[in-house]
Amino acid sequence: MALQGVEQTILRDPALFYWILFPITIVMILTGILRHYATVLMNTPPKPATTLAESRERLSLLRGVNLRNNAPAVLSQDAFEMRKNYLVSSYHSGAFLKDPASRGQPPGNPMTDPAGMEAMMGMMKGNMMMMIPQTLIMSWINAFFSGFVILKLPFPLTIRFKSMLQSGVMTRDLDVRWVSSLSWYFLNLFGLQSVFGFILGSDNAANHMSQQMATMNPTAGMNPFQPGQDPDKLYQSEAENLEVMEHFCILDGIEDRILHNIASKEGLV
Amino acid sequence: MCAIMAQTTVESYAIQSSNLITTVRFSQQAPVILERGLTSERSLIFSLIANQEEPERYGIIEQLFFSCLQTGDDRSALLCLERLTCRFGSSNEKVMGLRGLYEEAIAGDQSDLEECLRKYDLSLSEHPLDLPILKRRIALLRSMSRPVDAITNLVELLKAVPTDAEAWCELADLYQSQGMSSQAIFSLEEALLIVPNAWNIHARLGEALYIFARTAEDEGFPQYLRKSIQHFCRSVELCDDYLRGFYGLALATSLQLEQEGPMNALRGLASDFLYKEKIEGLNILARRKLEDIVKQRSANCQLWEHAQGDLIAAKELVDRISESH
Repeated sequence: MALQGVEQTILRDPALFYWILFPITIVMILTGILRHYATVLMNTPPKPATTLAESRERLSLLRGVNLRNNAPAVLSQDAFEMRKNYLVSSYHSGAFLKDPASRGQPPGNPMTDPAGMEAMMGMMKGNMMMMIPQTLIMSWINAFFSGFVILKLPFPLTIRFKSMLQSGVMTRDLDVRWVSSLSWYFLNLFGLQSVFGFILGSDNAANHMSQQMATMNPTAGMNPFQPGQDPDKLYQSEAENLEVMEHFCILDGIEDRILHNIASKEGLV
Repeated sequence: MCAIMAQTTVESYAIQSSNLITTVRFSQQAPVILERGLTSERSLIFSLIANQEEPERYGIIEQLFFSCLQTGDDRSALLCLERLTCRFGSSNEKVMGLRGLYEEAIAGDQSDLEECLRKYDLSLSEHPLDLPILKRRIALLRSMSRPVDAITNLVELLKAVPTDAEAWCELADLYQSQGMSSQAIFSLEEALLIVPNAWNIHARLGEALYIFARTAEDEGFPQYLRKSIQHFCRSVELCDDYLRGFYGLALATSLQLEQEGPMNALRGLASDFLYKEKIEGLNILARRKLEDIVKQRSANCQLWEHAQGDLIAAKELVDRISESH
């Protein structure tokens, strides 16, 4: 057990500092930048709907959501009932579906559906882009620098931080303030986000421009469905949500509110 | 040119300030803005340093394009269009829409417009869901005074894209121009379901309900007028000093007061009596606010130069109401 109150001293070669600490940091920053540009390069924007029926299938769900969220701000009782009945019956009958004939059949295997396949590939690419460089760098550090204690923090810490700061160094008695090379890697991995933000601009700065002109109406290209999801199921649940909705309207009694709020504020009436 | 002026274009957020003074002023800046764009493109070093092209610049160029077309500066408009085409490619949906707009604007006669329509049909047969072109086509049909076709097409569009508030508003406008008030009211309500806090659409809905109440004198009248008043209230609740909202509120409440008198004397219900009191309060409030706004905005006419027409109308209304009382 380390003596209380006595400063542990370890004789370190200053070269450790220059040949481990700086290389790890620089490599981490460079891979971060590289990864960013690789993601931008390989990123495929989600495919917009190509036919009217497809767009209809996607957006009709949002119409129900909009009705549910915004009806109290706009509609009177009968107008609301009319819309609710229309949407619920259309959802139930599948009138909004791309091809109503294939309704009720089990959803196609996402592996064979080209659209689903594409979306999965996109996800995979994103994951790979994170995983591969991390694995490589970690094994590089493990191979070359494992077990090195490379710096000492200038402030004391509690024992809890030991696992965070000294991974790869299996000594019980070492003061928590010493940081091992592997831990330095982890600290960089999680701590460099703001540095990347500083260098690369905010997260999507690079691919922002090409999308700007693409969408005139931002909701038009949106797809509420995940790949492989059955639109009909979502329609049914939305219909249920609409059915249980009770109507109230903020326009009721608005005259009193106006008279009370504005008129009294202005000193009128 | 007349094709543009006559219609409220679908992508009208740039032209929404429909008064000509501001538009002319914008389009007069065309040489300056276009020149600035050129110099920054010429100097390579500068463009390397400022490598992040500002998205706003293309927004400005787009707006400039609209202003130039409105004021008849077709040459600058073409320059703007070329700049946008250069950046985004001629196959970009939005650029295609803008090019269509330009071609419509320089079209001389009916046959040129027909030609535009054929072009739109052709490009739609390749990309059936090209929203800018779809909307241009509807606007073109409207400006060729074929409103029924325009309505049919717009309804088709809205079936595919039911979450487009702009299109719903355009549909309401088309219906209103055909005198189909109840359909217009429905469309405006749909638009409001998408953007529930848009005070201008609330006021538009109030106006549509007011018009409907005036035309459907007999059975639905009190109900629609009441709804109209509620929507005007909501619009002034959402936006302080909203001239159009207060104008409508004053108009609708005084109509209600005129009609109310004989009808309620017969029934004499307590709730009706209370309601009448409220309406009177609202009427007084709206009139005072209108007077205030007119006084304030006439005082600094520099700032409100573009809204002189509104102010004159509001003043006239206040005078008329106070005369009749």
